[in-house]
Amino acid sequence: MEHEHEEAGAKKILHATINGVAVEAEENETILHCARRYGVYIPTLCELDDIDHTPGTCRVCLVEFEMPSGDGKTKLATSCNTPVVEGMTVQTRSPRARSAQRLQVELLLADHDQDCATCVRHGSCELQDVAQFVGLHENRFYKPSFVEKRPVDDSSPAMIRDMSKCIRCQRCIAICREGQGVDALVQVGIGQDKAVGLRFGLSQKESTCVTCGQCVLVCPTGALGERDETDKVLDWIYDPEIITVFQFAPAVRVAFGEEFGLPPGANVQGQIITALKRIGADIVLDTNFGADLVIMEESAELLKRLASGSRPTFTSCCPAWINFAEIHYPEILPYLSSTKSPMQSMGMICKTYLPEKMVLDPKKIRTIAIMPCTAKKDEAARLQLQFDGKAEIDVVLTTREFARMLRREGINIAKLEPSDFDNPYMGEFSGAGAIFGTTGGVMEAAVRTMYYVANGKEYDAIEFEQLRGFEGVRSATVDMGGSIGIVKVAMCHGLKPAREIAELVLAGKADFDFIEVMACPGGCVDGGGNLRSKKAYMPNALKRRATLYNVDRQQHVRQSHNNEQIKTLYRDFLEKPYSDKAHHLLHTMYTDRKQTLTRTVKEIWEDLTISDPLY
Amino acid sequence: MSHIVYGVWNGAVHDYRDPSKPTPENPVALHGLDVFNEGNPIRAFVGDRGFFVFDKGVSLIDTFWRYMDKAAEQSCGKCTPCRMGTVLVRDALADMRQGNSSALTLDDIVALARQMTDTSLCGLGMTCGKALLEALENFRGEFEAEIKEGKQPEQEGMVYVTAPCIEACPSKINVPQYIDYIRDGKPSHSLGVILQKYPMAATCGRVCVRFCEMACRRNLVDEAVGIKTLKRYVADYQTTTGALTFSKAMIAQSLPPSMRVAVVGAGPAGVSCAYHLLLHGYHVDILEAMDQGGGMASIGIPSYRLPKDVLLSEMDIITQLGGRFLFNQKLGRDYSVDDLFARGYRAVFLGLGCQEGTKMGVMNEDTSLTGYDSGIGFLLKVHDHVAGVKPIKLEGDVVVVGGGNVAMDCVRSAIRMGARTVHLIYRRTRDDMPADKEEITAAEAEGIVMHFLTNPTEILSADGKVTGVKLVHMRQTEKDTRGRRNVEPIPGSERVLNCSLVIAAIGQQIQSGALTEKDGVSLNKWKCVDVNKTSLATSREGVFAGGDCETGPATLIHAMAAGLKAARAIDDWVRRGYVRFFPRSRMRQILRDNNVLASDVAEIPVKSEYRVHHPELDPNIRKQMFEEVERPISREEAYHEAKRCMRCYRVYSVVTAEPVPESHN
Repeated sequence: MEHEHEEAGAKKILHATINGVAVEAEENETILHCARRYGVYIPTLCELDDIDHTPGTCRVCLVEFEMPSGDGKTKLATSCNTPVVEGMTVQTRSPRARSAQRLQVELLLADHDQDCATCVRHGSCELQDVAQFVGLHENRFYKPSFVEKRPVDDSSPAMIRDMSKCIRCQRCIAICREGQGVDALVQVGIGQDKAVGLRFGLSQKESTCVTCGQCVLVCPTGALGERDETDKVLDWIYDPEIITVFQFAPAVRVAFGEEFGLPPGANVQGQIITALKRIGADIVLDTNFGADLVIMEESAELLKRLASGSRPTFTSCCPAWINFAEIHYPEILPYLSSTKSPMQSMGMICKTYLPEKMVLDPKKIRTIAIMPCTAKKDEAARLQLQFDGKAEIDVVLTTREFARMLRREGINIAKLEPSDFDNPYMGEFSGAGAIFGTTGGVMEAAVRTMYYVANGKEYDAIEFEQLRGFEGVRSATVDMGGSIGIVKVAMCHGLKPAREIAELVLAGKADFDFIEVMACPGGCVDGGGNLRSKKAYMPNALKRRATLYNVDRQQHVRQSHNNEQIKTLYRDFLEKPYSDKAHHLLHTMYTDRKQTLTRTVKEIWEDLTISDPLY
Repeated sequence: MSHIVYGVWNGAVHDYRDPSKPTPENPVALHGLDVFNEGNPIRAFVGDRGFFVFDKGVSLIDTFWRYMDKAAEQSCGKCTPCRMGTVLVRDALADMRQGNSSALTLDDIVALARQMTDTSLCGLGMTCGKALLEALENFRGEFEAEIKEGKQPEQEGMVYVTAPCIEACPSKINVPQYIDYIRDGKPSHSLGVILQKYPMAATCGRVCVRFCEMACRRNLVDEAVGIKTLKRYVADYQTTTGALTFSKAMIAQSLPPSMRVAVVGAGPAGVSCAYHLLLHGYHVDILEAMDQGGGMASIGIPSYRLPKDVLLSEMDIITQLGGRFLFNQKLGRDYSVDDLFARGYRAVFLGLGCQEGTKMGVMNEDTSLTGYDSGIGFLLKVHDHVAGVKPIKLEGDVVVVGGGNVAMDCVRSAIRMGARTVHLIYRRTRDDMPADKEEITAAEAEGIVMHFLTNPTEILSADGKVTGVKLVHMRQTEKDTRGRRNVEPIPGSERVLNCSLVIAAIGQQIQSGALTEKDGVSLNKWKCVDVNKTSLATSREGVFAGGDCETGPATLIHAMAAGLKAARAIDDWVRRGYVRFFPRSRMRQILRDNNVLASDVAEIPVKSEYRVHHPELDPNIRKQMFEEVERPISREEAYHEAKRCMRCYRVYSVVTAEPVPESHN
């Protein structure tokens, strides 16, 4: 206790007033932070507290203040990066502060694309919000020429970057650089051409970006978004000749209800099935079935690799992780499991086994996957994942697009009665498949099955607590007993921890058999294709994760190898895990995509924006 | 003295437009604002804290349009008020000066200028609307009259953008710009900015004395930005996959083979001069007395501060640009200045350096004694020791006399070479030492014994070998008229310090015999090469000089700046026969003379952010090795440090009667 007192005494407490109310602040605490603690609202835009981001670029959060020695003269300051000073008086709502805030937002709109109605962010835009919060009534300065030159990059199958809507908040750069450690984004241009671009001036498609989509989650406007493919899907639904086969990922059902006013983490699996049927989906399946199938293949592959002394093995179900490995750590590719992701495995089985069983023409089948992920769009377009020249997955819709599609069809999830999967061949899933959507879930699912393979019986407790946790990198030792014995595993979520692990493995300092990587912090429950939260980052990750574990607990079957439909699939079609046929259909390969760029000083000089060019 | 007609400066309004009222004598102490260059009067001056009109006929609309046009061109675009404000105000003034109707009223312009001044993120936005705001608030009638007149007459002049750190740097590197590129995520662009001024970025990033950091306004908040650290970060990026390549493609226009220039000395001044001459298209040979390049940066700076491979890789840039090194060529021994002209060189740059140690002037100071050395002589031996050419093992105690960086290099090297105890003798106090404070602290941590207020009086020797030094204690005298304290010996305080090696590290001069009377290059009373300070031309036509041989022992950055300046002058002299007026230098002189850039207070409180420091090795380990002591900083640390820069850009502008003469960019 005494020690605590000492610490509290050592911290200097500053005294000030905000709107006439006496406040106390810690040394170096910003006015904004202090004001929030006292429940005083100040409009902000570029700032994002959850990732400690205060670049001070929008200049909206202005307050009027006077220093104790200010002889009555007041000044304006941005509250987000100005510290409280002893004796300072702050006014957040004075006429001067309010009119400066309002003029600032008017200036922000002056070089911002004005076509709000067509914007992907319409109705959920933080810039629209702040314009309302500062009472903006006019927009005098906008000229089309102010935005025309700013680029729109639609080269990537996954994401579209429309810099005419960029407000230069740099949140995307911060999350890419500090959050994910990918550092693919740079600032480009000068003056009104200032925007965010990809490193080395490359297009999104060619760049070092891994399309994890975390930048999309933090973008306050419509500058960043996924490629919208809802029309393509609606066309197929409308076409009587085409058989639409939908699947949706484990994390979608727990991260979707919020959009329709349900509490965070609510499980709307049944409502999604009803909604899909109502808009005219022909067949609705669960990606969890694919997850069970992946566990069968991956466990078999892993046991084989362990037997041959090849270690470690990395999981391969996360497409942004695959992109990261191919682009940033190609040396690590031999350690990647060759098993396709659950989504792609499903796509392949939907176009081979399913039509065989249901007597359908495979050519008429279109596979549509609803995913909490932008990188899945990238994955579906991979050349390695085409089958007889056709895609295994025809379209990936992010959770956001799915919400948009339902709105277009006038459907409110919250008002629907739930229904069940009804496909007799691919409609069942185990609890193991369900937890794929959170960090550690793939590992736990695999361990349950490997334990069975090693011992010929199930693990008594079913749940492996040592694999659950939320730190960036976690490791555990699991005694499988039987023929396998001790297995050392690691799990990481977020690409910064993934980079740490990759470095350790390449340096020969990692002692692991099996490593699970999920590119997004938290895993798919906070994937880059999820619904966006305003002014927040990962606010609901833990609630969504808790629901996934509940789904597992409520599932009658909790191990992938006990899924009866999976057993039938192997018996009737794939023979056995890692059979030649399974290998042909459900395994893939990777390519080195590391950038090697040589640039000359001359090229750099030609690209300098401001300086004193000498030659 | 210029006659002010009207203006506002530091908030004080000056209005002497009414001829019937007497104008006060010298209302503001302005220096050197009569003419910009010969025969070209300054009609108006605009700066970050106001403006002056010296000629009633000046068009304010055009004057501020010129100013704001530059500000808009330089606006980085990150923050809202500067990005939009500069453009909207510039466009409105552009319409008005053409006599067209403007979308904005004068009231709108006032509102925008105020918004920029009150709410911008960096120094550029905060200051570039201020003078206009003052003008509109106090002399609105002038603007209204001009609008009524319609199209405004064309005006002449120049606009100059700078910052305190840029002005403090002898090479005038655009410091905020290269820091910005780091923040932007483009270290190669950052290096590109530095390479516009000199090729030795990695060297400078390790050993620069950092005038920029002394001028850094971040000092008003917490600590200066780690500018040198960031420079090393981007320069070291050259050793990664992001390395930039140098080639002759960088040369805009190659000149005929006859356009040859000889550079004497491959030190920082010579290399910098050669680099710029090569980029101007000349064919350059560097003649060097030693068998490798680098000059004092090589022999004078120990490898634990500047690894040899770092320095040598920067020498390679000269070769990659087509320059030639001719080693073991010593001026005065192997050739004379006459010989160089006879060999067909059109001009000669002397970057000889100061390579001969100055004697202490004490009793029995016999330079032939075993165990007596000069600072520079000792560092040369250290150089050979590290290079493996001639390893030495020191034994016994070592005494180094002096308080500068050379003395620091000597003590820190001596401890690494096995000396039992190393003593530093300095006649003034620790605070008076001219060496970098970081160096002093590092030396103390490595166990160097410091004797302040102590001076040698005699070298003791036996059988031709040094055995010790006789020392006397000094005391500070009362402050003199300039407020400085001198020192004087305390009678009767003599004592003897035994040692086997004494090193006099108190100064250097040009090597005797390098220049003879026949070369026609005259020296000044400090035995340095006498030059015209603006052109660096010596007393002999076609011969230019810079670096230590011209200034006396100085810094790396001064030498490299001299190299650039000399290259410009040589280019002018060879191709035009005279050295042109350099407008940017003139602007700098105006700012300096009027102390315009004086850093005041940080007007808005700024959140403090810790400064990133190089991780250093444990003193007990590092004092045994010559490998680099300071470890590189990480990418995350570089981003953090770059964010601390406040971008204190300022825009200055003169309106002149005649066009400002053209010069090198």
